[in-house]
This record gives sequence, structure tokens and C-alpha cells, in this order.
Amino acid sequence: MWESLNLKDVVALARDPYPSIRQWSRDTGKKVVGSTIADVPEEVVYAFDLLPVTILGTHKPLKKAPSHLPDNACSLARSNLELALSYEGDLFSGFVLPQVCDTTQHLSDIWRINFPDKYVESYLAPRQADRPSAHYWVKEEIERLISSLGKWTGKQLSNDALNRSIALHNENKKLLAEFYDIKRNNPGTLTNKQFFALLKVSQQVDKAEFNKSLKAIKDGLKLKKGKGYTDVVLVGITCDPPEIFDIFDDLKVNIVGDTLVTGTRYVQGVAAMNGDPVQALTDRHFTRGFFSPIHDNVYKNFEEVKKLYYGTKSQAVVYVHIEFCESQEYDLPDLKNMIKQEGIPIHVLDTEYQTTSLSHVLTRAQAFFESLKGGSL
Amino acid sequence: MSEKLSSKQLSRKITDEYMEDAFHARENGKLVGYTTAISPVEIFVAHDIVPIYPENHAVANLTAKKGVELCSVVESMGYTSHLCAYARSDLGYRKTGVTVTKGIPEPDLFLACNAQCFTLTKWFQVLARRGDLPVFVFDTPEHILNKDARKEIVKYCVLQLKELISWLEKVTKRKFDYDRLAEVMKYSAASSILYKKFLDMAQYKPSPISIFDALIGMAIAVYRRGTQECVDYYQTLCDEIQAKVDQGIGVLPRDQEKYRLYWENLPVWFKFSDHAKLLGSYGGVILTSLYVHAWSLDFDLNKDPLETLAENYVNRFSNSTIEDRADMAMELFKKYSMNSMIMFMNRSCKAVSFAVPTLKDILTKRTGIPALVFESDMGDQRFYAESQVRTRIEAYFETLDRLGLAQKLT
Ligand code: SF4
Ligand code: SF4
Repeated sequence: MWESLNLKDVVALARDPYPSIRQWSRDTGKKVVGSTIADVPEEVVYAFDLLPVTILGTHKPLKKAPSHLPDNACSLARSNLELALSYEGDLFSGFVLPQVCDTTQHLSDIWRINFPDKYVESYLAPRQADRPSAHYWVKEEIERLISSLGKWTGKQLSNDALNRSIALHNENKKLLAEFYDIKRNNPGTLTNKQFFALLKVSQQVDKAEFNKSLKAIKDGLKLKKGKGYTDVVLVGITCDPPEIFDIFDDLKVNIVGDTLVTGTRYVQGVAAMNGDPVQALTDRHFTRGFFSPIHDNVYKNFEEVKKLYYGTKSQAVVYVHIEFCESQEYDLPDLKNMIKQEGIPIHVLDTEYQTTSLSHVLTRAQAFFESLKGGSL
Repeated sequence: MSEKLSSKQLSRKITDEYMEDAFHARENGKLVGYTTAISPVEIFVAHDIVPIYPENHAVANLTAKKGVELCSVVESMGYTSHLCAYARSDLGYRKTGVTVTKGIPEPDLFLACNAQCFTLTKWFQVLARRGDLPVFVFDTPEHILNKDARKEIVKYCVLQLKELISWLEKVTKRKFDYDRLAEVMKYSAASSILYKKFLDMAQYKPSPISIFDALIGMAIAVYRRGTQECVDYYQTLCDEIQAKVDQGIGVLPRDQEKYRLYWENLPVWFKFSDHAKLLGSYGGVILTSLYVHAWSLDFDLNKDPLETLAENYVNRFSNSTIEDRADMAMELFKKYSMNSMIMFMNRSCKAVSFAVPTLKDILTKRTGIPALVFESDMGDQRFYAESQVRTRIEAYFETLDRLGLAQKLT
């Protein structure tokens, strides 16, 4: 079902993957397990013959979520909850919900209470990443997830099955990295929207099938340099709605690097194939880039941004702020100052899931990129 | 021999001495450690680090209605208006020096425990960046329902406490004294028992204390845990309240105490006494909340101190599941014979408030008592609608009266 998609199909799928996932689940008889973002080892879920799907909000209106989570909860959390409560809940047989901030902690509880008949497990990601105890804890949580899924499915997980799953996920990430290289150097080949759709869909469908599409799409690409592009680095957690990428595309902005959890941080999750899959999954947690709720050091984020900016010879940094994400909001003023002091032009995009009109984003982005071209920043 | 001090005098004396010690810490070769109100501060005390709680200082400023002034400054620095008012007012104080107290000494290091909230970790990180100071995050994963997972969580936390101790040894270049920790734990355990005894006096009818007494009375438990004077203070306080009980003295006279209320969340600090008066005029006394019970720690001195510390700090209400919070609240409902509840949606505190809608549903169902829900902010007056709150309170008591929920008065 997902092995012979073209780019256009992928973009459409990224907009609303759920009918397709529902169909796939019916056809294959396999169960679907949802996760919100942040480091749930999807390889483990997949190895149990389940389909791990990263839930990334809904564009449909909020109906039930506001009575569970007030309007100063981040829009991603509310949107995810709405998706499960009103629209796609039936599709999922279970959920593995990571916790990294106060919002996600409550979200897990609310989710569990609202879905008493489904499998709901928490994945307690460590909220510190620099000490040996964090390594101990990630490993423990992966092992706990394995045993919990084992109990639920009545299956025993073998190292072989987990290694096969890791290999498949690694292959997906390597393919995505190749796409990124192509896009970085030949922006005329692939739009931002197309590229980020490949990334998004990779987090939502069966990689055994989708990797085939990725290979075919890649082989069929005709490299085009294109002209007049402004290279930028995208910084943040997620970037939604996808129409934001249309704005970048219209403005001929080429995203050449990013720190998104749903972007590069996902691609960075290649795990070593060294025979000890749990250890490999544990280790890779610590090789991924900065993520505000679990890394305590904004300097690290700044260093990463700087490295990306200079490494890619970018012209600006665009920071994607998710409305009401307090993790970002405590970091941003200092990060912004550091970036400005470095002389790097920065533009902050305020985003909200469920946004219907992006005209304000467009106007502000237009003004920023025009002045960038005019050299007045 | 000098006369025995009252709890109020004792509280003042302990606080003055503590702040004096804090302001002169460096002269005396001690370091100042900022920490979160719910954190294993016993480790600091045992290692002679003077613990300072920016939250307490924030409370003083917010109670004195400095919230808007301080928060506005911070918003002009690029921080959003919906971050916790403690953090905003504190960052405002750093910028302007405005405070209604003498302020607090600058930190040397930070201990952020997320059993309370994630906000404090981020806020401390902001402060640490100002001086490139070290922060230790004591990560307490949610105390989820799974019993086996809980054991693992405690193990993870014990490992971290060992890391904390090594970190402190490195920063201070001094060996940690486990015997001293054992002594500190004894004080902490004793004062926690007395503190809980004090809170539990609210079960008497009429109640000799309201939550407002509890909120004032909790201060010493927050910042002087692990000391002899903390034990002495709660002993004195308990004796005083017991005397009231013996004489039948209540916050409201016995024949006027109609509604014994549960309060969810932190208080609206700048409305603190107004609320007490207003509710009193309807025969209502707020008795307790999970919040004030956060320091009713229950240390087991027969265990390894690090283990009992870990167990206690991970299972605080703020780090518990909504199901567990509901059970904890239900226990209070029964114990204190409460017949009404106010559920405050505090915009400042996501850590507590995001549980409130679900908790309200569970508690109203389990108790059969309607709840008054209102949204505002504990410290930022811009989010407080005076007339709306008054009308809602009035309407709530009318409903309770209509439902015949008032306590039978004698
Ligand atoms: S880290 Fe931010 S975006 Fe993610 S769930 Fe928490 S508040 Fe929302
Ligand atoms: S009020 Fe809430 S968010 Fe603010 S510091 Fe306290 S627990 Fe954290």
C-alpha cells in the first residue's frame, strides 16, 4: 500500500494519513499503536508486529480537548488529544506516551483515563541527559516497554526481531538523510513541503513498504540546482501546519538544516547494529541533538545552531515557536540574544496547530526575507 | 529563664536567623544553593549548603500585589505572559531589584527537582545562565500506577541522589558526611509528622485552622526541613492549636461553620485574606488542599536515607497520576468531613492545573458534591476578575444550600 507512492501521494498522505493507515490495518490485520513525539523507541513497537504511528496533531476543529486541557496548554498537546478523542481514536489499539514536560505528563494521565479499554503505556524519558543515571534509565525504560508490550501482545521479543526492526528503521533514516543532502544542494529538485512530507510519513507508516517508495522516488529525482534560493536553518520542535512549508517554498527559502524533533533529530536516531539492540537503542538516545525539555543547556542548542548555520553557509535562522510551549519559552529569549549577538539573522515564527489562516505568518516572513535580501538585518 | 515563644514569634525568629545566615553564607565559607520547594533539601542541609527557595520570595512579592509590576518587566524581555508568575516575578526582581522583603542572596548552584514541576527546572536554567552556574536536575519520573515501575523509579532516583552527592563534593571540595545526613533525616522525619498533625487538626469541628493558617504555617516546613528548630516550631504550633481545640475555638464559631471546603491548587496569593473573609461570610471555611500536604513527608528512618528520600519525593501529589491525586483528595474529604470544594484553575501553574478538569470530574462523581471551578492566576492580578469570582462564589453557596449540603449546625 505504501511501497509505490510518488511525491505527490506522499504530500497528500502527510496531510491526512489516517484513512490510509486505517485501510492498511484492516488489510493486514495488524494493530496500530500511537505515540506522541519525543523519543519513544518505535523500533521496539514495530518489532512486536505492531505499527508505531507518531501522532502529530489534527487540522480538524477542537471539540473535546478544551474541556480536558485548558487553552494555555501547548497547541500540540491539545491537538493530539483531540485527534484521539474525536477523530481517530478507534484506529489505535494502544498508545505509548512519552513524558518530557508537565504537559505530556498530564496528557498521559488524561489519555489513560479516557481510553480505559485500550493499551496505554507511559514512556518516562529522562529529563536530564548528561549523567550515567540517564543511560541506566533509558535502558530500563526500553526494557520495561518490551516487557509491557510482551504482556499485552502475549509475545516474546527476540533480539533478532528487534535487530531486524532496527535495520529497517535505520535504512529509512539513511534514505531520509540522502534526500536531505539532495535538497540541500539542489533545492530545485524537491520542495520543503515535499521533503518534510517524506519525513512525516516516515514516522507514520510501515517502513518495510515506505522505504521502497523512498528508494524509487530518490532514483527518479532529476537534480535541479534552481536559482535565487535563500538557505536557512530551522530551529524548534515541530513545524506545523504543513502550509508553512508552502510559505517557505513561495519565498524560495531552502531549509538546509534543522533541529526539529520531527526533522533532523529523528534522522539522527540511527542505532548501531552491534548485536545488543537494547543497548544500541539506549546509546542512540544520547547522540541525538538538543531537545529543550531533556537537555539542560541552551548553549548546546546555540552551538548546534551555529554549527549548522556556518556548516551549511546559511543566511538566516528561523525559530519555530509552538504557542504555549513553555519549554521553548524559557529558552528562547536567551537563545535569540545569543544568535543575534553572533550576528546571525533570526526570525521567530509563532505557530499553532489548528491554525486556519497563515496570513500573519506570511506577511512577517515576507518582510523578514525581503529585508534579508536587502541586507538590512 | 526566658518565656516560651509563641509559634508566630518562633517563626519570625527562625526566618530572621535563616535569612541572616543566608546573606552571610559566603563570609562563613558556605555556599547558597537555590532549590525547589519539593526537593531532597536534606542533602543540602547535611552538606551545609544554605538552601534558598526563589518561590518563597516570589510568594512574598505576589502576596503584596507586586505581580503585575514585576511580570510586565519580564514580558518586555521577551518572556511570554503565561509562564508561572513565580518565575516571571523572580526574573523581574533580578532585573529591577524590586521586592517587598530584603530580597534573597544570589546563588552559587542549583538543585531542580521536577517532582514539583518542569517550570522550575527551566526557570533555574535561565538564572544559571546569568552566571554560568552549575545546575543539578533531580529527575523524578511520574509516580505511575505500575508497582514494579515504581520500584525502578526509586532505584533511578537513588542513583541520582548519589550523583548529587558526588556533584556537591566536587563543587564544594568537601566530603559528604552520611552521619550528618542521618541526623538531618531525624529532624526532617520528626517535623514532617508534626506538620501533618498540625494540618490534620482541621478535622475537628469546628475546625481550629483554615487553609490560610496552613499556608502560613507551612513556610517553616518548606525552608527549614532537617533542623531542630523546625521540629520545635511544629511542636509549639501543634500545642497552640490543640489548646484551641480543647476550648472549642474554631475559625468560625461552631454554630456558623456550615461548609467545610476542599481547595484544589495553590492559593490566589494576592486575594488570600479577602477569600477567607468572603467565604467566612457564607459560613465556609477552606480546610485543606493537596498542595499544603506536599510537605507531609513520611520518612522511614529504618531505611537507607537515600531510599526513603527518593520514595518520598517521587510520590508527592504533584508527581502523582490524576488517579492517585483523586485518591489522596478523597482521603482528605473523608478525614476532614468536607462537604464542598473549590477547584482553582491557576494559569500560572500548569503542573497542578492541567489535572484539575479531570480531577474535578472524578471528585464530583465520587463525592456527589458539586464543585466551584474558577480560572485565574495565583499572582498576576490581570487574570483576576473580582466581580465574576464573587458572583460565582455566591451562586455556589446558594446551590449548596439548595441541595441541603450544609452541615447540621448545633
Ligand atoms: S515540550 Fe512543548 S510542545 Fe512538547 S508537549 Fe511539552 S509543551 Fe508541548
Ligand atoms: S506554581 Fe506551579 S509551575 Fe510555578 S513553580 Fe510552583 S509548581 Fe512550578
